[in-house]
Amino acid sequence: MTKHLRIELIIERMAHKRACRVLEAAGMTGYTVLPAMAGYGNSKRWSRDTDLSASGDMVVIISVGDEEKVRATMTEISNLLGAHIGIVTVTEVEVLRPGRF
Amino acid sequence: MDVAISTLLSPIILFFALGMAAALLRSQMSVPEAVAKGMAIYLMMAIGLKGGVEMSKNPLTTEVILVLVAGIVLSFLIPAIAFMLLRLTTRLNRIDAAATAAHYGSISIVTFVAATEAVRLSGLDSGGHLVAVAALMETPAIITALVLAARGQARRETPIAGSEQGELVREVFLNASIVVLVGALIIGWVAGEEGTATVEPFFVDLFQGVLCLFLLDMGLSAGRGLRQGWRQLSVMTVGFGLYMPLISAAIAAAIAALIGMPAGDAALLITLTASASYIAVPAAMRLALPEAKPSIYLTLSLGVTFPFNVTIGIPIYIYLALLITGQA
Repeated sequence: MTKHLRIELIIERMAHKRACRVLEAAGMTGYTVLPAMAGYGNSKRWSRDTDLSASGDMVVIISVGDEEKVRATMTEISNLLGAHIGIVTVTEVEVLRPGRF
Repeated sequence: MDVAISTLLSPIILFFALGMAAALLRSQMSVPEAVAKGMAIYLMMAIGLKGGVEMSKNPLTTEVILVLVAGIVLSFLIPAIAFMLLRLTTRLNRIDAAATAAHYGSISIVTFVAATEAVRLSGLDSGGHLVAVAALMETPAIITALVLAARGQARRETPIAGSEQGELVREVFLNASIVVLVGALIIGWVAGEEGTATVEPFFVDLFQGVLCLFLLDMGLSAGRGLRQGWRQLSVMTVGFGLYMPLISAAIAAAIAALIGMPAGDAALLITLTASASYIAVPAAMRLALPEAKPSIYLTLSLGVTFPFNVTIGIPIYIYLALLITGQA
């Protein structure tokens, strides 16, 4: 087992393509985008069924990479989150096949 | 008065009221998301096809072209007025005011569909070209809002990470509403009445029932939006959501009178101008003005203006149209 870093980015759906481009540009070898159902933040509840435009929807993007690549994305992700609604966390994880990342 | 009562007591509006009441009472009832999106596409296809078929029956007259131009001008103009009023009467900052103003210059296709039914119930005729006007009025407001937001603001030093050239243009000009509405309009125009006869049972006979189901879902959305976002709105901002449609309607009525539009067409142009977007513009604003608070503009357009328009607004707009055509 090898130690890697896992990025978990919760971001508004409309900006998720921007986040994905940041991850790709940093050389992350993969990511998964999951829909978020509902939540609470900034003193306000939100849920997927509130508006038809789906512009208020949130998604979760998960990506795993080596420390160097993950750290490289942080400046850009910080810039992205300066404009868009979202949060990012980075945690240490163990992976079975390090060559995949 | 009869128009107001028949509109308010139509199944469409009653289902909308049911959805809104259910959401405000915190009912767990919901229409599956995919069904709601499917219905939205169905309704836009149906209204686009109907408009295209109607247009195929009549030549493109000067009046039709004038109405199309009027729609574009109104969509450019209304956000400037809305922005000025928001800045004068509320504490919204420039970005929030510009984003909100964009919603009021653009249109709500569901309000338009509801108005089309109300116009039909009133015994008035309307031309298919109003669907083209609806499509044309979707985007100019976004451009005005971006100009208003940019004025007096320092340019962003670095672009937002991951942003790509052309993404906003794609979102603004190729969003689902425009593609489906314009596409169906062209298909209806090309195929004509004879060509679309085979799909009539699906797009005409089922229309009313689907509209009821869709309005039930819209009621749920509007109610939930209002319940979740009302704390973000001041009394003055809510007031704007109620008086702005009337100001827009008055301006559109003046233009309709100037062009000499028939009552049915005028009622629809007035409704389009008075309606506020909650599908195309919110999505564009998240890309173009991400700093603007969606809890303000979306709650206002979906939770305040949309219910106002479909219940009280439409009968007023039909009455205005009758008034300017001397039929009131």
